[in-house]
Amino acid sequence: MAIAIKPVGGLTPANIGESLRRKPDLKGALFQFVMLFSLSISIGVLVVLLYTVVSDAWPVLSTRLGDFVTGTLAPDAGRAGISQGLKGTFYLCVIVAIVAFPLGIAAAIYLEEYAPRTRLSSFIEVNIRNLAGVPSVVYGILGLAIFVNGWGISALTGGRSPLAGGLTLAALVLPVVIITTQEAIRAVPSALREAGFGVGATKWEVIKDHILPYAAPGILTGTLLSIARAAGEAAPLLLVGTITGFISNSPGWFDVRQVQDKFAAMPTIITSWAKQPEEGFRVENAAAAIVVLVAFVILLNSAAILLRNRFEAKRAG
Amino acid sequence: MKLRSFFTLLFALALVAAACGSDADTSASDGSTDESASADGSAADGGSSGGGDIFISGSSTVEPISVRVADAFTADRPEVNTAVEGPGTGDGFQKFCAGETDISDASRAIKESEAEDCAANGVEFVELKVGIDGIAVMSGPGNPLSCLSFADMYSLTSPEAEGFENWSDANELNLEVGGSGDLPDAPLTITAPGEESGTFASFIEIVLEDTLDERGQEITTRFDYQSSPNDNVIINNVSSDDSSFGWVGYAFAEEAGDSIKVFEISEEEGGECIAPTPATIADNSYPISRDLFIYVNKAKAAANPDLVDFVDFYMDYGLKTAVADAKYVPLDDAAMAETVSAWEGR
Amino acid sequence: MTAAVKWDVSELQGSPHRRNRERWVKGVAFAAALTSVLISLLIIGSLLFEAVNFITNVDLSRLWDRGWFPRRGVFDLKTLIVATLWVTVIAMIVAAPLGMAAAVYMSEYATPRVRKILKPILEVLAGIPSVVLGFFALQFINPTLVRSWIDDANSSGNMISAGIGVGILTIPLIASISEDALAAVPNALREASAGIGARKLTTTVAIVIPAAVSGLVAAFIIATSRAIGETMVVFIAGGAAATALFAGSPVDQGLTMTAAMASVAAGSDEVVGSGEAFTSLFFVGALLFAITLCLNVIADRVVKRYRLEY
Repeated sequence: MAIAIKPVGGLTPANIGESLRRKPDLKGALFQFVMLFSLSISIGVLVVLLYTVVSDAWPVLSTRLGDFVTGTLAPDAGRAGISQGLKGTFYLCVIVAIVAFPLGIAAAIYLEEYAPRTRLSSFIEVNIRNLAGVPSVVYGILGLAIFVNGWGISALTGGRSPLAGGLTLAALVLPVVIITTQEAIRAVPSALREAGFGVGATKWEVIKDHILPYAAPGILTGTLLSIARAAGEAAPLLLVGTITGFISNSPGWFDVRQVQDKFAAMPTIITSWAKQPEEGFRVENAAAAIVVLVAFVILLNSAAILLRNRFEAKRAG
Repeated sequence: MKLRSFFTLLFALALVAAACGSDADTSASDGSTDESASADGSAADGGSSGGGDIFISGSSTVEPISVRVADAFTADRPEVNTAVEGPGTGDGFQKFCAGETDISDASRAIKESEAEDCAANGVEFVELKVGIDGIAVMSGPGNPLSCLSFADMYSLTSPEAEGFENWSDANELNLEVGGSGDLPDAPLTITAPGEESGTFASFIEIVLEDTLDERGQEITTRFDYQSSPNDNVIINNVSSDDSSFGWVGYAFAEEAGDSIKVFEISEEEGGECIAPTPATIADNSYPISRDLFIYVNKAKAAANPDLVDFVDFYMDYGLKTAVADAKYVPLDDAAMAETVSAWEGR
Repeated sequence: MTAAVKWDVSELQGSPHRRNRERWVKGVAFAAALTSVLISLLIIGSLLFEAVNFITNVDLSRLWDRGWFPRRGVFDLKTLIVATLWVTVIAMIVAAPLGMAAAVYMSEYATPRVRKILKPILEVLAGIPSVVLGFFALQFINPTLVRSWIDDANSSGNMISAGIGVGILTIPLIASISEDALAAVPNALREASAGIGARKLTTTVAIVIPAAVSGLVAAFIIATSRAIGETMVVFIAGGAAATALFAGSPVDQGLTMTAAMASVAAGSDEVVGSGEAFTSLFFVGALLFAITLCLNVIADRVVKRYRLEY
């Protein structure tokens, strides 16, 4: 039986080559351009934002940056500085690191390596995902009710203190630490585990000698990002209560007793200044404080990104 | 391997933290019944400030004065640990009477109930008047009126005035509360401090409260006006419109100069109209003003020489310089001497 | 080592010391995992306790009144909810197209080298603290963008500029979740599409995006939840102090649920009738918690469904 080829749409063996050659794909190019354009808007926003902040802050940055960083809260805009905010934020970050990281890493190890497939385990997993979505201001309520005013706990934290604020922020970043650590552990090839078990290592020995070292860069990336997040969070601290009026600077940077004392923090200082009527506070000082905070946060973020890229390249290569 | 020791350290910390965590659990569930007692008053807010520290809380209106004093004091005495916050007069007294603060800022005198609270906790205090906050009532520069009575202001701003969009809407109410009922036919737009502000509270207390009481109204203002925490915004809004209405702290109005019209005020309809000036505010002849106080815990002052130095400094620098810098009206010489002797005779 | 060594069963179990250590480590790790449950319980407990206090003490008619005046005992919920809706809707109008377009470009068009440059930039944007966006919305977005287009917009802040600020904040979140969703589409689908002669545009729009649609929807829902819960941008740039009259229009100042909480907490001078202001904080917090939890659970469901497809 002969197969009859019916010409479709005027195609003939003679002109089929011609029709396969593409016309320029205008629609496609336009689409690609629109996508790229949208992406550029997001990046453009970042540029405009940084430009606005730096130019608003310029009168401070160009004339008294050193005094601004070492100065204390003061009633005059021309004299006010952020050293106490830096110190408070430093202590908050340290407390977050001490509390949230061990807890988060241990929890992630349990969930990835030990947890039996029970209802309880999956409940814990779901619970962590939901906690990650709880608005930060709600964590502030936790901080206020438990860490600041909680019966018995307030004596330990000293009320509205870096300890109370730090514990609140630790609770806030804990789910993120757990989730990123879980991801890092999941990326460990199972051959590594099996090899460890094969030579008679116990589970914990495999975890500490093989899994954690392998997952360490991923874990560190996640923890750096969480510290950056904790440093910039203002809403929970508004509820926990920081001082933005006046606080003298007498205890030194490394006098640990101040974790139970009244404190100031960068994000709440910025908030309070941005809402002041006086222009020197509302625009110049607030912007200058933002420059310092953003520089710190971007530094942490870049470190995390670099770390990740380096190890990804290493693994791939 | 370095990494291993790093993680071992982390785990040691995890152990500690986990132990703390479970402690927290039990004490929280034990304490849940007590929570109502401690939650709102932050009564358990211990603080670890030791002997030489000075902690000031209370009115956010007085806070700028105390901040300036603390700032100047710290320049001389950097070793003294000082902190100032301004959650509000009521919150401040709650902490003060629990013995948590050394000084309480207040934009009104202590209430009887609060004083009883202090007495119950054995907190004795000395009351020091430090300055006066005058409130200027104002409109745009072209407003034809020059003098307003309390009745006029009541008929423009009380809850009963809710919905009035023209000055003349208020005339009927104005007559009822003892005014002359001749407010002009001009659109009424109000910008003033919101309920979170001490100036708002004072305006109600001084201008509206008596009439509100008489007429069985809730002690508040009308709700439908634009409120702003920023005095410059209030001045801006008021100055842009000749039939606007608003009120701010006196110093802000004085600074705004000719861009606004500040009304003279008479307490009674047809009474003497008095313009706010530092002199009329200081001698109390201008009717819309309130006294600003600090309260010092006597026992803490006896035990803490730094606190005594601080209040001494407040009596000098605070009364003479900081009050004016914070845009309030300083006391006249007689009142200042009275305050100083009240402190010295404590 | 000689043949004289005798083995018995207990030695095959390993040393008791090692076994003990195993039990300890597992116990500690389990306790750490349980702290997350403890945190949830504490959050719910602290919210509910005072929220119940609030609802039993407040005059219910005051929950539907002229506006949000917590220190005068007027707690109009619709004021907060409408403001929250406005801010969220505006944020999503800004963030959804920009974020998803960025994701499509990064996942379908960008060469690996370009991607390596663009992704960190988006991550830096993701790391910008929200107070900074609040400042930016107040100092730049409102005066320069919004008020040059809309004369009526309130100069001390309004819901449009706050919404745009929140939108910018959520772009990286949408972009990152959407990109993950697009990347999860098997390459076989793209290759098959290209193999039957579809253009890149057709492949992207007709094959890849529909295949990833549940992930994109999840990205949208999660970003919505984030926008509802965002506090500082609205607190700084929303224009309202601690109070707000009911305002139907986004050019007015407004208080979202989060900003209302922040301003109650940020303290103020004592005012007549301050009774339930403090507990209202917990009530609004509970409401916020419930709303965002629902959205997150929905997003989780959507993601689960889409995981089953491949």
